[in-house]
Amino acid sequence: MSTALEVRGLAIRFGGLQALDQVSVEVGEWEIAGLIGPNGAGKTTFFNCLMSIHRPDRGTVMYRGRDITSLPTHRKAAMGLARTWQNLGVIPSLTVLENVLTAQHAHVRYGPMAGILGAPRSFTEEAGLRVDAEEILDFLDLLPVAGERVGGLPYGTQKMCDLAMALATDPDVLLLDEPSSGMGPEEAHQLGETLRFLRTSLNLTILMIEHHVPLVVDVCDYVYVLNFGRLLARGKPAEIQRHPEVVAAYLGGEARGAA
Amino acid sequence: MSGFRPGRGGVAARVAAASVLAAAVLSLPLLLESTQDLWLALAAIYAIIGLSVNIITGHAGQISLGHQAFVGIGAFTAAFVVRTVGGFQTDPVTGLVLAPEVVATSGFWIGIVVAGVTGTVMAVLLGLVALRIRGLYLALITLSFGLVAETTIFNWRAFTGGGAGAAAPRPAAFASNQAYAYVCLAILAVFLFVDWRLVRSRAGRAMVAFRAEERIASTIGVNVTAYKLLAFAVAGFLAGVAGALFGHWNQAVQALDFDLRTALVWVLMAVVGGLGSRAGVVIGSAFFAVFPLYLSAAAGGATLEIPGLGEVLIQTLSPLLGAFLLLLTITLYPGGIGQQLLPIRRWLAGGPLVTSRHEALRLAGLPGLVVLVGTLITADGAMAGRLGMGAVAGVAAGVMGALLLLEYLRQLGRKRPVAQKRGAGGPTVAVARAGTAAGGPAR
Repeated sequence: MSTALEVRGLAIRFGGLQALDQVSVEVGEWEIAGLIGPNGAGKTTFFNCLMSIHRPDRGTVMYRGRDITSLPTHRKAAMGLARTWQNLGVIPSLTVLENVLTAQHAHVRYGPMAGILGAPRSFTEEAGLRVDAEEILDFLDLLPVAGERVGGLPYGTQKMCDLAMALATDPDVLLLDEPSSGMGPEEAHQLGETLRFLRTSLNLTILMIEHHVPLVVDVCDYVYVLNFGRLLARGKPAEIQRHPEVVAAYLGGEARGAA
Repeated sequence: MSGFRPGRGGVAARVAAASVLAAAVLSLPLLLESTQDLWLALAAIYAIIGLSVNIITGHAGQISLGHQAFVGIGAFTAAFVVRTVGGFQTDPVTGLVLAPEVVATSGFWIGIVVAGVTGTVMAVLLGLVALRIRGLYLALITLSFGLVAETTIFNWRAFTGGGAGAAAPRPAAFASNQAYAYVCLAILAVFLFVDWRLVRSRAGRAMVAFRAEERIASTIGVNVTAYKLLAFAVAGFLAGVAGALFGHWNQAVQALDFDLRTALVWVLMAVVGGLGSRAGVVIGSAFFAVFPLYLSAAAGGATLEIPGLGEVLIQTLSPLLGAFLLLLTITLYPGGIGQQLLPIRRWLAGGPLVTSRHEALRLAGLPGLVVLVGTLITADGAMAGRLGMGAVAGVAAGVMGALLLLEYLRQLGRKRPVAQKRGAGGPTVAVARAGTAAGGPAR
């Protein structure tokens, strides 16, 4: 299996805090990898470094064999890296459909000026974009709320809208930041099904930050554990659950309950 | 808009209303007198400026307190172009135009386009600064940008004619105020189309995205830097063209016309009109263009006795109304006039007229507003005098009072919205569907 995303020796310091230190992660093609760790371990910072939201001090990010460490965020998005946000990456004032249309930005083929000046092809392509967007919404069961303002929807639905936006960028690699937060066990299980389905139907590689242990065990092929900015362990979910250091640092008694 | 479809009668009513509206606007220059045609032309020019401010502030979420730089450069450029391209002579000593009637129509149009381009250049220069700065500091930078332009470029004698200003006569074809009003309305129509397509295409959506959150925008592939500059460029073009039109409107361009106070009025009218709302911005801008003119025409030299202050010229009071409207907008109607127009706009676009009690209340305030604007436009300056002023002020006060009262009652009667916290009651999509079918919180 070839490697989709390979991160080597990533490090970043914020003032006196070494937020990430020598973190290396590899995600194989069509793999679902988990990234777990206690609060403040640096998981979201890791995603931010991957997407150039932060510029890492050291380390490289390779995407399909290409060094993309210092490319700007929008270029990475256009290459096929997409992410969702722990605290929602939606635009609350827009409707669900408008959010997804917005997220299709990178693969709109008409230029911005053609759009502004009302070139005929911009009209035809807009119609096509709308069809695509509705397809994505249908896929995630969001079509019934397509015309609703996202800000007025329940948290879980907003999360799904965030996921829909990530999918609308037409990604290869999907970075999910706590996709199950705000969901009950039942819905988290449902989410696991959705993720597996997405992987096979859209050929996705997924790296997900997740707190919900049963979901991690359920869907992840491989798990990385971060603690205080350092990689504590890696392995298959079952191995990680038994890893003594991990249990001490993070899982605690919950690991036994989840197993 | 969940699935609402108007019936055959509804469609007919909407089409009829839209055609009446279009016919009214198109026939307005014919119906009005020459002076009022001039007012109408200025209203259209201000509307273009309002749209320009709206692109930077409403769409891109930036701020511009230096818009006089873009508009002013447009005006001076247009004057310069008709002076050199148009081929008429100026007196080398006084700088006065010797034969203004030979301005060619082509020279006028070239001037308009070149003015737009220079406006773009100015705005992009400012935009480059705006890339790195935001908030209060950006406001200060744009403010000083405008002031610097005022005191340097606008006082560059060869270009602007110095303190005496530059002549900017109209070509013979647009010499009448009526023809000129049509020119301004036509250009406004073009820019309304541009703004519509901007909002409905990738560029507008990109702007909405980075206005909400730059990190989210870049994550979905938006080149924030490029689109910020694009917003400034388009806004600068509109402002430059508006400046050219303003120069020819006044037939002369003076640095004095483009000062900070004016730039503030332009921001004010866009905010009161309702940032992000085309119709609102146009109406707000038109109001701010016409009201001071109307006030000085209607009140003449009339004065008002204010206890403790003595006699005050009524026409000097117009900025007060602006401040009052701004207060009203910021405290009670953040969406400005556009928010009030929302039901009508949605209805014209084929939606239902009213979706909540709240909107019905808003709609009830509109006839008052229409009466106010109607009085403003139709009242004959000479005839109106103090009596007309009194009536207008009375209507305005009545409308505002009623709106305030309604808003107050509404806020009294409104229940606190239930906070939608994470995990509250299992927020699945299915739950969302059930929740929204029952009518989500109306904006």
